[in-house]
Amino acid sequence: MSNDALIDRLVDDLRPVPRPRAGRLVAILVVLAAVELAGFLALGTMRPDMSAALERAAFWWKMGGLGILAVFGVAVALNSFDPVMSPRKGLRRWGYVVAAIVLVGAVIDVTGAGLQGLGGRLMWRMGVECLTVMTLLSVPPVIALGLMMRWGAPTDRQASAVAVGVAAAAWGAFIFAFHCPSDDPFYILFWYALGCGVITLLARGVLPLTSRW
Amino acid sequence: MSQVADEWGQLMAAAQTGHASAYRRLLDEIRHWLNGFYARRLPPGMVDDAVQDTLIAIHEKRHTYDPERPFRPWLMAVARYKWIDRLRSMSRSRTEELPDEIAIEDHESSVTSSVVLGRLMAELKPAQAEAIRLVKIEGFSVEEASQRTGQSGSLIKVNIHRGLARMASLVQKQTDVE
Repeated sequence: MSNDALIDRLVDDLRPVPRPRAGRLVAILVVLAAVELAGFLALGTMRPDMSAALERAAFWWKMGGLGILAVFGVAVALNSFDPVMSPRKGLRRWGYVVAAIVLVGAVIDVTGAGLQGLGGRLMWRMGVECLTVMTLLSVPPVIALGLMMRWGAPTDRQASAVAVGVAAAAWGAFIFAFHCPSDDPFYILFWYALGCGVITLLARGVLPLTSRW
Repeated sequence: MSQVADEWGQLMAAAQTGHASAYRRLLDEIRHWLNGFYARRLPPGMVDDAVQDTLIAIHEKRHTYDPERPFRPWLMAVARYKWIDRLRSMSRSRTEELPDEIAIEDHESSVTSSVVLGRLMAELKPAQAEAIRLVKIEGFSVEEASQRTGQSGSLIKVNIHRGLARMASLVQKQTDVE
């Protein structure tokens, strides 16, 4: 096909399109998060000792850290759907935030439980359950962000997919944290990192293929 | 360029509302710009395909352009993305089944006209650059390239694959290679 014929075809196919509005995407995600959290808690999954947990520094470290990682991750992912923006710098900064959160967790851990009995503190059976539920809770945000990625024009699809993965993983972990009875930083760092890794790998493997343009 | 780009931004903003004549003018002007862009970055036999591919991408992703922002970076980002895509697809394509039109008779002038391509190839290992030049740019078969370079056929393929992947990665890391 000649360039002239192609241009004729594209002009014939021209339809009005909506202007990009990041606010609309954010609103959709906020509603999704609220619905998912409400639905999860409606199943009676709220941890029974919530009032006691509110008095622990480790609980606030867990919830605050995951919340920050989820919000920051979503911001990096949404930005990267704009063809002009690269997610790599944002991902590096996300990594620094993780490092800071891990550091604070380590301080809380050492001053609290100490370093004894690390193997026993992992509580394998509960940990595997955490991993499974957390991964399931990350699926809705992966799908939502994946559709937004497909609608957008990411020019670094692999890095955008990682951004979606870490954002969705932190999101799923945040919601799961309302149920998770453990505030042990060592347990959280091990199992939550594993869960985030699974979702991120999944997103990295699938999303670059579905968002090709 | 910035005045032209601002005008292109206005044309694209009009196209987003369905203004066909503005869109036709925009695509027509962009086509020439893309021709120059890819002529400096790809073997001549691939320029037309890259231009058409990019025009289609611009059409499909026109909703991602924000008229409040300058048009040129948006256009550059799309064009660069399609350039990387083409480099990657070159490494995926089976070297022994290259279409004839990719072969270039006057390869020397063609290669030197692809200024940015030449600069990128200079970043590669000599064996990789040689394999890409012979098979992907000059149109030799893998066997012929193997005889000329002394590399085995499978090494030629590996060098092409790794060289093109490296070039795509270099482009990805650079904000713009002019």
